[in-house]
Amino acid sequence: MFSSKTWIYYSVSLLLLFGAVTFGLFYSSVTVPVSHILHIILEQTAGWGFLDDLPGNTTAIIWEIRLPRVLLALFVGASLALAGAAFQGLLRNPLADPFTIGVSSGAALGAVFVIFFQITIVGLGAFTLPAVSIVSGFITLMVVFGLVRLSSRSMAIETIILAGIITSAFIGSIVSLIISLGDQNEMTQIIYWLYGSVGMRGWSYVQLIVPFAVIGSLLLLTRYRELNALALGEEAAGHIGVNVQRGKVFILGGASLLTGAAVAVSGTIGFVGLVIPHLVRLVTGPDHRHVLPISMIVGGAFLISADILARTIIAPKELPIGVITALIGAPLFAVLLIRNRVGKGKAI
Amino acid sequence: MIEIENLSGGYSRVPVVENVSLHVEAGEFFGLLGPNGSGKTTLFKLMSGGLPVMDGKVLLNGDSVLDMNQMQRARHIAVLSQETNVSFDFTVEEIVQLGRYAFQKGIFKTLSPYDKELMEEVMKITSVTKYRHTSFHMLSGGEKQRVLLAKALVQEPEVLLLDEPTNHLDIKHTFDILDVLKKWQEERSLTIFAILHDLNIAALYCDRVGLLHEGALTNIGSVDVLRNKNKLAEIYGVETWSQPHPTLARPQLLMNPRKKEERSVSLFENCTVQQDEEAVSISFRQPLRTISNGVAGEGIQWIKHFANFHVDKNYDSWTPKDDVENWLDERGLPIEQSVGMMTAVKTEHAVVKREVLNGIAFLVVVTAGTGNAVDITHRETEIQREKIGTINTLVFADAHLTDGALVNACMSAAEAKVKALHDQEVRDPLSGSLATGTSTDSLVIGVTQQGERTSYAGSGTFIGRGIGYMVYEATTEALAVYRRWKEAHS
Repeated sequence: MFSSKTWIYYSVSLLLLFGAVTFGLFYSSVTVPVSHILHIILEQTAGWGFLDDLPGNTTAIIWEIRLPRVLLALFVGASLALAGAAFQGLLRNPLADPFTIGVSSGAALGAVFVIFFQITIVGLGAFTLPAVSIVSGFITLMVVFGLVRLSSRSMAIETIILAGIITSAFIGSIVSLIISLGDQNEMTQIIYWLYGSVGMRGWSYVQLIVPFAVIGSLLLLTRYRELNALALGEEAAGHIGVNVQRGKVFILGGASLLTGAAVAVSGTIGFVGLVIPHLVRLVTGPDHRHVLPISMIVGGAFLISADILARTIIAPKELPIGVITALIGAPLFAVLLIRNRVGKGKAI
Repeated sequence: MIEIENLSGGYSRVPVVENVSLHVEAGEFFGLLGPNGSGKTTLFKLMSGGLPVMDGKVLLNGDSVLDMNQMQRARHIAVLSQETNVSFDFTVEEIVQLGRYAFQKGIFKTLSPYDKELMEEVMKITSVTKYRHTSFHMLSGGEKQRVLLAKALVQEPEVLLLDEPTNHLDIKHTFDILDVLKKWQEERSLTIFAILHDLNIAALYCDRVGLLHEGALTNIGSVDVLRNKNKLAEIYGVETWSQPHPTLARPQLLMNPRKKEERSVSLFENCTVQQDEEAVSISFRQPLRTISNGVAGEGIQWIKHFANFHVDKNYDSWTPKDDVENWLDERGLPIEQSVGMMTAVKTEHAVVKREVLNGIAFLVVVTAGTGNAVDITHRETEIQREKIGTINTLVFADAHLTDGALVNACMSAAEAKVKALHDQEVRDPLSGSLATGTSTDSLVIGVTQQGERTSYAGSGTFIGRGIGYMVYEATTEALAVYRRWKEAHS
């Protein structure tokens, strides 16, 4: 079923992910031997510990701090990359990602709202935060699409990005308004949160994102054929038998779910959804059957690595992880935009 | 096969297409024609499910197409549009594979061996196999369209809907696409429903056509519908001339630009006659509407240069046309704008006569030799091999003749020639009876197409009488010159 090349793509990306996870667990100011880490994980998950007398704080560092942090980065990275790949495929637009088309900002607004006003929706409990983020992200997406529809007939690449930026700017000002209403302490907290971070979140945040990440991924990964067909345009996709409306609902729904959940637990981390699918496509070709899963794997590995950088560059202080991804992603975005203008009509 | 019943629909509440009914047979190539904005694309979208139908039915083998979901529809109907942009760097094979979307089964929706076999076959027919691993974006417009055609054909459709599929293509790629379609149509009894805006392409490929005018389908029938000049003028607002295709029994249309060509040079001012021992040639600055049976440049054409070449009386060639074209070329005359003929008569002896009769300017050039004089009415079992003893007649006049009148003019010239031969008592050496001509006579009638257009050029018209008089006079004189020369040399 898979060609040997495809096996290599999967093997290499999984190896990257494994490497990133290992490094993420191992590399820090407090050095813990790999054997200890392995023991702690086996002990905690299956009760198969093989070492005695580990200091209690080592266990706490690995199990309570580093592992949830690495896992959170993994899920957020995978979610954002997959959402980005899906948005790009659906909109036939290599520049689309949750950040550039405004979904991230919308989700952030919802999250800020919940955090600032300490809202809890009855029946949702702790899931209020991701739920509100997802819904506000989805609403923002609809607003962006509405703007595009009103301003141009075609879903032109530039128009979508422009509408996304306009909407993001508007939402940004509302967020600023909310922040300025708070006190100094809250302000710093929210601003820092907005830049994005996977640190100091703990297991509760991992629990928040996992169900959404699983459902969203399933929704998108099963739509690879529709995404391939959409490369022909919506009309032509319909002619070969694709139920475009249903496909769009699934894909937009799944991508919004992933983005909203990711933003809710980690803030707005930009450009992961843009850079990763693009790089993956360069290597594997555009077939979404492989672009989607490999983007997930590589996206996870990428965000874990970005997090390692974020917490080590100016250690003991930490940089927001969104700064790292933006430093890498923004220039690349510019390059893509220029190439897109130069090679008009050519796919990137 | 396809049954459209009282179909209406459009973009807003006002229907663009109204009450259209149409029946298309299985295996038929139906062309939907009409000017921009007549509702072709709307009708097309109503049929392919791109627009909601307000009223009416579309049936495929009795099943309602409108009630099918996309998947079911795609198993029966494929679509090829004028231009499709493909995003991302998909290869040709990946694009073609998309055509099997509606047929893939199982959880993993993989390609079956049959799918693969079909793809191979279709890619071969559409000549895209060699590009299979090439990026779609790297291909030229024509190649892209062939790939998209392959994608449509792997759907194994019963019906193929085409929306101006050759819109942006050059002639070669247009014919490549349509020839593949025609072949597939015949082999697989594929039904093709095509929007075409090139009426000549439609005339060549369609079995039947329908003209759509302001949302209503009128004049459904064979491609001969396109010969209805008045209807086309009403629908397109353009004056068209229907011409027969030279080798196929199908019409082709010619259009007149609104601005008329300025051509008011008179016959004599316009022409130069050059007479030497190699040839007698007449050149005009502006082309004449010409009918001729010259060795080169035969038929009805617009011609500027007319050359009658001298050849040795023992000239014998299997390739006279090539020879004449070579001689034209040597004299610097463009082959496609020239009529070339040959004679064994000395071209210095050609008779050139100019005269204005009843206000019509005539120029007649005749070379006459009667070595092969024949009485065409004599029952003769042996047909003489072509020899070079001919009467070549070139008649030019300041007149405006229809094609029918050109034929009429030929008759007038031939009658006058026969009369001249009889009066000079030229005889068929085999039968001894009066000859009507020689075995290889050539005739050119060239007219300037100025003045009032006339449909006749026979003995009941000034132009016909003028031709008769001029040809008689010139032929008689040429025969006399020929006789004198003959006597001097015997």
